[in-house]
Amino acid sequence: MKVNIHLNKRVAVIGAGMTQFRRRILETPQEIAWEASSKALEEAGLELKDIECVVIGSAPDAFDGVNLKGEYLSHGSGGIRKPSSRVFVGGATGVMAAITGWYHVASGMCNTVLVVAEEKMSPARPHPQSVFRYIWDPILEKPLNPNLIWIFAMEMHRYMATYGIKKEEIALVSVKNKRNAANNPYAQLGGNITVDDVLNSEVLVWPVQLLDISPVSDGGAAMIMASEDVARRYSDTPIWVDGVGWTLDNTEWPARDLAYARYLEFAARMAYKMAGIENPYKELDVIEPYDPFDYKELHHIEGLRIAQRGEAPKLLKEGVFDIDGDIPSSPSGGLLGVGNPIAAAGLMKVISIYWQLKGTAGKMQVKKPVHTGLAQAWGDLMQASTVIIMRN
Amino acid sequence: MSWEKEGKEGSLLKWYDIMEAEKYEYTVGPAGERFFQGLKENKIIGSKCKKCGKVYLPPRIYCEDCFTKIEEYVELKLDDAYLDSFTTIYQDDDGQKLAEPVHIGLLRFKGVNGGLFCYLEGTPKKGGRIRVSNFNYPLRISIE
Repeated sequence: MKVNIHLNKRVAVIGAGMTQFRRRILETPQEIAWEASSKALEEAGLELKDIECVVIGSAPDAFDGVNLKGEYLSHGSGGIRKPSSRVFVGGATGVMAAITGWYHVASGMCNTVLVVAEEKMSPARPHPQSVFRYIWDPILEKPLNPNLIWIFAMEMHRYMATYGIKKEEIALVSVKNKRNAANNPYAQLGGNITVDDVLNSEVLVWPVQLLDISPVSDGGAAMIMASEDVARRYSDTPIWVDGVGWTLDNTEWPARDLAYARYLEFAARMAYKMAGIENPYKELDVIEPYDPFDYKELHHIEGLRIAQRGEAPKLLKEGVFDIDGDIPSSPSGGLLGVGNPIAAAGLMKVISIYWQLKGTAGKMQVKKPVHTGLAQAWGDLMQASTVIIMRN
Repeated sequence: MSWEKEGKEGSLLKWYDIMEAEKYEYTVGPAGERFFQGLKENKIIGSKCKKCGKVYLPPRIYCEDCFTKIEEYVELKLDDAYLDSFTTIYQDDDGQKLAEPVHIGLLRFKGVNGGLFCYLEGTPKKGGRIRVSNFNYPLRISIE
């Protein structure tokens, strides 16, 4: 393993758990966090007293409508009387929580970490979109009342125009991910749809239509990370974290190239360097790129340098990213199929890769043998990117 | 538009806005539901961990120490209720003087984890039996 930083300890994932993702879950946010955490402990064969640190990931407080959500979630996350911390970088939070858990162990500070991500998107009225109204520059952008859908519509349009990509080609992502989600017991919106269904769905903000977007969702996800000696004691199949990367690009929307995810390229290069990956297309076996919108999966596959700029739709059409393809992408069903409780959705992607590498993904298990997997998330002011690479 | 051009104030232009979602719809959760159903029958319900025996008020579906699922609900005895602390409020959140001071009490039960903030009627004092005069939330209690 080539690393570009000093590591005190090698880090493994030894257990994970999730709640079902769905709209208007009955449980409170704390109870959702507890359900995911207790399942993760059970899979790892540990008890709460064996956990030394707790990392809580949740995107901005405003979704659940509770201020200081890290404190609010702490007893449901098992964080009482332990060093607990909360991370939040918007949509990139789920993977950032895993990265934070990783450096708690890699630094030698502790041997066992419980990483919990929770989000409840459904309490905000009239719609969680209203919470996004205040992420903009208050002087220059807010007066236009931007919402995320029209911002992404502009990005999607730029992506299509730059590379001559048609909506039909992008819709295939939604078709693939919702089909994959039908195999995921935690998913909210799996099913068989066609490209025509996407193209005939309601136009929200051109070119974004209803079936181009992931559903509003509530859910929790949790993972146990441990140092090598603990991992070997508790697991026959520890999954190693071999590379992590994260970056913030320019926070100004108008100042960025909308056709290319440069923010992701920086994060990916850091993670590839740490994991010793030189040719991602050849060396990655399964990936979970962040897909809150269908075009974003293609955007991110290019940002990860798995495809050349503008080439991801061609590979998608050839079946490279199908569950039985060369590099299965979002075999869990992604956010489009599983749902999008923001931080939990990001950690769900990491957990999906962990289960794929462990060989316990059940009906989601990809056809070919897998040894190296990658999960990625993105968000904040749409410029934060987080990447994690794992091996079995 | 939710913003307004306010004009010159000194030499700077400013924008005014209010940062809030329109509203939130919070869920009480399965244990919360038992609690509020209990109040309708003039009962105070807690939940009890099978493993360590701890009783939580308000009830919840997990034990924060054992991390196990809690499925047992228990009715707390009002005979075990005591006033842990109280305070008297003379001004509202905006600093306006209240017409009548408001007393708030922290209601606890012997051997139970947690408690409830309640409106405290009558003259607050240490000791004495607690009487719940109104089970609508927030509870109203007085001391006999």
